[in-house]
Amino acid sequence: MAIDRERVLDVLDRAHSGPVYKERDFNLKVIPQALRKQIKKYDLANTCDRDNPINTDDELADRYFRAGLEAAAEIGLLCRDTHRAIRFSVQELEEALKLAPQEFWLGEGDQRVCYKHRDPEDPTLPVWTVPLSIAVTEDVFVPLVEGLARIPEVDALEGPSLETVWGRPLRSGSPYELLAGRYQADLMREGIRRAGRVGMPMDAVGSSTTHYGVLGGYGVPGGYRPKHDLVLILSIADFWTSYESLFKLAHTSLCGGEHISASSWVMLGGYPGGPEGTAIACVAYTVLMVAAFQGSRTGVPPFDIKYMGNCGRRAQWALSVSNQAVSRNTKIVVHSINNQVAGPNTKMLLYETLVGMTNMAVSGVSNVVGTRSAGGRRTNHLSPLEHKFGGEVYKAAAGLTRAQANEIINQFIPKYEEQLKEQPDGQSFQECYDIERLEPTPEWRRKYEEVKEEAIQAGLPLK
Amino acid sequence: MSQELYEALREAIEEGDDVRAAEVARELVKDPATLQGAVDTAIESIRLVGDRFGEGEIFLPEMMLAAEAMQAFMKIVEPELEKIAGQAKAFGTVVLGTVKGDIHTIGKDITATMLSASGFEVRNMGVDVAPMDMIEAAERDGAQIIGLSALMTTSMPYQKEVIDLLKELNARDDYWVIVGGGPLTPEYAEGIGADGWARNAAGAVRLCERLLSSKGRPSTSEFISEER
Repeated sequence: MAIDRERVLDVLDRAHSGPVYKERDFNLKVIPQALRKQIKKYDLANTCDRDNPINTDDELADRYFRAGLEAAAEIGLLCRDTHRAIRFSVQELEEALKLAPQEFWLGEGDQRVCYKHRDPEDPTLPVWTVPLSIAVTEDVFVPLVEGLARIPEVDALEGPSLETVWGRPLRSGSPYELLAGRYQADLMREGIRRAGRVGMPMDAVGSSTTHYGVLGGYGVPGGYRPKHDLVLILSIADFWTSYESLFKLAHTSLCGGEHISASSWVMLGGYPGGPEGTAIACVAYTVLMVAAFQGSRTGVPPFDIKYMGNCGRRAQWALSVSNQAVSRNTKIVVHSINNQVAGPNTKMLLYETLVGMTNMAVSGVSNVVGTRSAGGRRTNHLSPLEHKFGGEVYKAAAGLTRAQANEIINQFIPKYEEQLKEQPDGQSFQECYDIERLEPTPEWRRKYEEVKEEAIQAGLPLK
Repeated sequence: MSQELYEALREAIEEGDDVRAAEVARELVKDPATLQGAVDTAIESIRLVGDRFGEGEIFLPEMMLAAEAMQAFMKIVEPELEKIAGQAKAFGTVVLGTVKGDIHTIGKDITATMLSASGFEVRNMGVDVAPMDMIEAAERDGAQIIGLSALMTTSMPYQKEVIDLLKELNARDDYWVIVGGGPLTPEYAEGIGADGWARNAAGAVRLCERLLSSKGRPSTSEFISEER
């Protein structure tokens, strides 16, 4: 079903008629006060269990959902261009959740992929989209995409992101970004063709966070396909949105687009406070993104402000309880992200991946996009191998119980948690791969095989 | 008496109570001899708050409110310090913003708060700020430092653009330029001709202090990296 124009107009109207807030008051009063109120009302204080980072209490997850729904109605999304809050009542939010698809298909031919709602501990195989929009140089873009698309566990593509366009720096908000929209679609398709996976679904447009990439690349001849690809609408944390996102929504509607990925993130330790406030905020923001942007695939993971990742205990807990809250209480297709900090050719990256992907597999997440190799800090610091491992873990863990998953991840978190602030960059694609043959170096392959064996010994049913 | 007031000031800042901080400040200015001790207490308190935030013991709203309490105190105390010593500002003015095409705000706001709480005059330009707007604001406010935040690889080129514009305007030596943001490395920062880079807000404060105590000029000074 195409994006509903009446709902687009309605959200634009709300962005121009909602209550006005100064940035300071919204951040320091509206958000923390609403979250504190819900923590008290639903008795959620000190419910974060660092020893068992994957929540196993269904009733607790349900309380987080109610708290998030009510917080969403109270907070809304602040539009930074109009300084007005886009608000919905609880009833409107519930109706929007019911309108969101329980499943949908993207891609073409034998590469079609079904994105389907999952419950916690659901054995249904989830969808693995790679990589995140990490910057790469133009010379390695196509080989990298080919290497990623060759991985059988990979279902769809999002990034990487271009550092330059035809040799020119890709400047955000400039006409270069408009050109990059279509250019990235061309390069992605070439990589997919070389891998023999023509028709794979893609997310538009990884290289451009503003609306210009989508305007230049989605729905234009030869660009991203409105019937087969997703449009990425990524709002800025926390509870903020902007014309950029609204432009993308309007453009998707004009192109007859059918599916939007509406997501954002919440800063743990930021305005929502600790893990409990953060988990409520993740639920609330998810619900708001469904209502405002008609998200077919929606999710809001936490980022821990202490190390800008989410593989530590309190972030993993917030990730699990918020995803379970949404997946247990709605039928939407939940999307989430694993935010690693270590780079390729480090065991730490694989340990972080193992923990995060196992968590999301058992917490009802239908579609993860990853890997955030080296925290996305370094150009060219991503390789196909960690994405293969991520897909293997994500699919193998589907169907495990949350208790089993806790037992597994608790064996691996101690291997890296002291290093979360040190953040080893690892190596670039060119350093840890033979790019001609698209094979990892023996050293990187050995680390992968060793960690995989450790995971099997720990109880993860990897093949 | 002054010890009690210092304690009240410490509490007001650490609890983020700007009304109480202003009340204590009004008491303190009645006795000019207490002022330097009060300023030292306030700085110590806000640094403690910053450390607790860095350790994850408190969260962003608490730190922001503490900074507002600090500002409420300084607003009353500063004019009195000027009367006594003929000068109030130990530090300089920083114009800070997230560069064009980038609307990430939290890291830049934390840095603005920490700088302000540490005694700098801060002009927070917000997000999506065009290169020339940063320069014109620095000129208008008589700033010594321009701080540029970028959270995306696609917005990082605008940091270099500010530096290039300063050179073309023959104004490179008029300002120290510091850069920060998730995807930046110190090598990149040095490569684009910035004067310094900091990993986080606390590092940005140390960086600004080091730059302003430097005797050199931007065009001839060594690049400073604040890793911690």
